[in-house]
Amino acid sequence: MSSWRHFIESRRFGELAPIPKAICYALLALWSTIVLFPLYWVFVTSFKEPVDVAYPPKFLPFIDFQPSLHAWRYIFVDLGNDTFRPYANSLIVASVSTLLAVLIGSMAAYALSRIEYKPKLGSVISFILLLAAAIIAVVYWQVDWRLAVVVAVVIFLLLLRALGRHFKRHLGNGDILFWIISQRILPPVVAAIPIYVMFQHVGLLDTHAALIITYTTINLPIVVWLMFDFFAAIPRDLEESAQLDGASRYRIFLGIVLPLAKPGLIAASLLVLILAWNEYLLALFLSTARAQTIPLLVAAQNATRGPQWWYMSVLIIIMIAPVLALTIFLQKYIAKGLLLGAVKG
Amino acid sequence: MTVVLDRISKSFGAMTVLHELSLSVQAGEFMVLLGPSGCGKTTALRMIAGLETVTSGRIEIDGRDVTEVAPKNRDIAMVFQSYALYPHMTVAENIAYPLVIRRTGRSDIDRQVRDVAAQVQLDSYLDRYPRQLSGGQRQRVALARAIIRRPAVFLMDEPLSNLDAKLRGHMRAELKHMQHALGITTIYVTHDQVEAMTLAHRVAVLNKGRPQQIDTPRQIYEDPANLFVAGFIGSPPMNFVDGDLMDGLFQSVGGRLPTSVRSSHGKVVLGFRPEDCRIAAPDEAGSLRGSIYSIELIGDHVLVTCRVGGQSITIKVEKNFSADIGAEIGIAVAAERTYLFEAESGQRLR
Repeated sequence: MSSWRHFIESRRFGELAPIPKAICYALLALWSTIVLFPLYWVFVTSFKEPVDVAYPPKFLPFIDFQPSLHAWRYIFVDLGNDTFRPYANSLIVASVSTLLAVLIGSMAAYALSRIEYKPKLGSVISFILLLAAAIIAVVYWQVDWRLAVVVAVVIFLLLLRALGRHFKRHLGNGDILFWIISQRILPPVVAAIPIYVMFQHVGLLDTHAALIITYTTINLPIVVWLMFDFFAAIPRDLEESAQLDGASRYRIFLGIVLPLAKPGLIAASLLVLILAWNEYLLALFLSTARAQTIPLLVAAQNATRGPQWWYMSVLIIIMIAPVLALTIFLQKYIAKGLLLGAVKG
Repeated sequence: MTVVLDRISKSFGAMTVLHELSLSVQAGEFMVLLGPSGCGKTTALRMIAGLETVTSGRIEIDGRDVTEVAPKNRDIAMVFQSYALYPHMTVAENIAYPLVIRRTGRSDIDRQVRDVAAQVQLDSYLDRYPRQLSGGQRQRVALARAIIRRPAVFLMDEPLSNLDAKLRGHMRAELKHMQHALGITTIYVTHDQVEAMTLAHRVAVLNKGRPQQIDTPRQIYEDPANLFVAGFIGSPPMNFVDGDLMDGLFQSVGGRLPTSVRSSHGKVVLGFRPEDCRIAAPDEAGSLRGSIYSIELIGDHVLVTCRVGGQSITIKVEKNFSADIGAEIGIAVAAERTYLFEAESGQRLR
């Protein structure tokens, strides 16, 4: 009578009984298959001849079809430089923009977590209004931009001097944080055309610089968002102790806070790197030949004759390989318990 | 190195947490700031350290006005309640940190770290990380890091509160010995009156941001200035009975007691310590009348709790005492061992 209960109810709190356990593992296996199968498919397709790619699908090399290296040879040997250049571009643009975004973003997050900012609402509004006025003057009335900027700054300072005392309401760190994060809520593609025109004006289209600047700007809010919580979790005692010992703010930031925020830094870097590496739309707008990145190359395999899956598969594999390797390598650094032993036990 | 606090106050917006604390700590003195949570003692300590700004008043260290001086230039070392050890550095690196900041030579640093580690018995733990140490060991690392700087003043914020009772007792003795050996002026914050009594040369009792009494432990114990100090110091705490004072005679629901204050006063509170009273016959003259509520054997003595007119009285008796719960008894206390306080203000009547 009670023997079947052993299969459904667990004996101890942290354990699963046999049948629930089997169901869990079955579901996990199913989901793993759904997630990993596309990777397997891409890998196998890169070794297929064009005729093998057509319907019906062929799953197993040496059994369903004979593998061949023609696609690999084409991508690496025949195209050679045409493959290497976008790959190098992706590497440069993604790593430099990630580095900049993480460096600047973590300093902003640290400042917001430690220092109390109280910008007056009146100052903020007057700044925005004067900026708008200056822009209108430059665009519609053809005022020289240097003159417009100087006049706007002078008016702003005079305004602050005269009315500053009356500006009572002020914003706080929470408002600044929200403002920074809200910039990422807007999809970057909405600003794609203005960004294009801007870079065209300064002659930076189709350069590394344009992509690096753009990616850094759109990913900065994400870094601030992630790192703020990590910095807020580091006990202030550590910094106060270092302060009493004579360390400067920068020394405290670089020598004590950053090492303790390592898990957060690595997580943020990885996320931003993946975003920059996979970014397609803005790269499409801002680059043509010289600064083309890998996602564009992959999409370009969609030739007039129809999608060339075999070439695409090779490109996809070399595209995801570095990110995959980096994630596996960095996983052990996202370790818990780094703060054990600093505070009370 | 002397420390002088001249009417320092601290307010956060409209809320004042410290009202005009004035204190003068002599060179080599162990001064304890004692009080319940929220009384402003940690705020006062942080103001001396420079980690909080001073709303009004002055702080002087060795005659120098440091009210506006940055923390690192005040020549003080602080041991935090949470120890504040850097988890990504070894014990040796933690202890060496103050010297590294000051760009001391490498060989000098190594020698000083070994010396100080030997002083606190940490020499075999120099390569460990904080997470591999016990509570007491971590506390000694924090102490070593403070000692190595040879500061003018030590500040300590409840450093023993995270240790278990046995270790606390041991570390109390260690701290007292160390402070005596080094002779460094120390300001120590705690809510534990046993620590205050055992460690301090003088104690400053604080309550709700106001100083109550600044005196030696013995004076505070035997001559409390007000109701709060009398009730805060002493374990078990002083007994209090409400009543009136008429011509030197204390009258209450529980009975009458002669006192040492020759006057009349309205509502008063009579105080006496558990070890200063004795159990008497229920109808003995000059005693309070009550019934036994509970009897606790402490080991070397027994604590008898009685109910007198709705209030609890604790009496310390010898260890072989036994009686029935609910038995009627009398509580006698000598007039010169009583304390009288005004019921309204809590001030001591003399």
